[in-house]
Amino acid sequence: MTGWHVDDETLRRYVERIDSVAEGASVEQHVLRCERCRARVNTAAAAADLAVVDLDAVWDRTRGAIEVPRPSVFERLLTAVGVPSDEARIVAVASAFHGVWLVGVATVIAFAALAAKIGGTGELWFVLAVAPVAPCLLVAVSYDWRWDPALEPEMATPYPVLRLVLLRTIAVLALALPAVLLLGLLVPGQPPFVWLLPAVGFVAVVLAASTWINPLNAATTVSAAWFVAVWLTRRAYSPTEVLEARTQVAFLVLAAASFCVFVVRGHHLTQLRPRG
Amino acid sequence: MEGPPSDATLLVGVAERDIGAFRTLYERHAGWLALRLARRCNDSELVADAVQDTFVAMWQKPRSFRGDGDVAAWLWGIAIRRLVSRIRRRTDIAAAFGISETVPAAEDEVLLSVEYGDLGAALARLSPEMRAVIQAVVLDGLSAKEAAQLLNVPVSSVKTRLFRARAQLRATLAEGLS
Repeated sequence: MTGWHVDDETLRRYVERIDSVAEGASVEQHVLRCERCRARVNTAAAAADLAVVDLDAVWDRTRGAIEVPRPSVFERLLTAVGVPSDEARIVAVASAFHGVWLVGVATVIAFAALAAKIGGTGELWFVLAVAPVAPCLLVAVSYDWRWDPALEPEMATPYPVLRLVLLRTIAVLALALPAVLLLGLLVPGQPPFVWLLPAVGFVAVVLAASTWINPLNAATTVSAAWFVAVWLTRRAYSPTEVLEARTQVAFLVLAAASFCVFVVRGHHLTQLRPRG
Repeated sequence: MEGPPSDATLLVGVAERDIGAFRTLYERHAGWLALRLARRCNDSELVADAVQDTFVAMWQKPRSFRGDGDVAAWLWGIAIRRLVSRIRRRTDIAAAFGISETVPAAEDEVLLSVEYGDLGAALARLSPEMRAVIQAVVLDGLSAKEAAQLLNVPVSSVKTRLFRARAQLRATLAEGLS
């Protein structure tokens, strides 16, 4: 660093842009290396009221530009598989993905599975009662406007509700079903995928029912009915019987029928809209 | 002794998402960057955009500063190229150099030629077009293509003007020596 600094007169000419090429070039080369003269240029430009741009406004815009949140991993995943970005955003804001619900459901299923593992097949009925209905509860909660503040503006947007509901459901299932599958591994004697069909069946029932009533009520009713049914029949039948082939077929029929109802009555999805 | 943090230190802060460090760097550099850019482009909106782009780029890739040389020089390298790309997006703008707009007073010219000797005088004798090319290519270190975009002229013109400007400078300086 030399002892040379831009003198005040040269600085003034530079800031007022009445300098020569050589002079301007010297100032500019020097300013790149000299913190002190850089600060003087800043001050002189501001003080002379010659500021070419409104630096405060540019700062605000810069702040705004860097604070646009990066899409979440999940949202980017959806975009990567071809979901349009605005739809990916709508799906991703579903409260189910805030993780709380998922963790809760996974915990319940995990406890059930552990109880079954420790207590043997005698406790298997509890897993049977909980695991298949957990995803439909999760889906229902993700549609309940009381739990999801994002839902209200979402449903108010001029967007095909049926498509929206399906997208969100698929997204919720994409997270819930692997959990069911994984925890199914903990239950002895059954291949884990046998849990999937009942789960999908119940989700379809809830979707179909939500064309009449609030989805959370539908899910609660379905879950309670299932729970009671399993509990009442736990002595008469082996719990694993529910998961055998003919029951699986029954669930498949149930899922298909419910889905048809849902699509046909799609325009009745007003229950998903906030009340009032 | 704890002085104010250096630019390089602040840049490490920016890499760690420290908005305070980012703000400090903005305060230190936005002013002179805007002024210097405005001397190359008379559209203040484009200059503002280029300043914004520069700091957004800094926020996104603070680690592209390799730690050699000055942060200011690194920033200028980003800023002038952002300006060029902004200009490219709006090709209809009349890019002009500040110096070609404002004509120095006669006595200033005399003082300058005394102060800067032969080179200053030689530069002053160049036409505004040739001076602009010299400034972009020699002083700002832009490529011929980037200079062409900045000045809104064909690349071939930049090359021709640069060649002529060099020849003229050489001639003027040789004249002064003899």
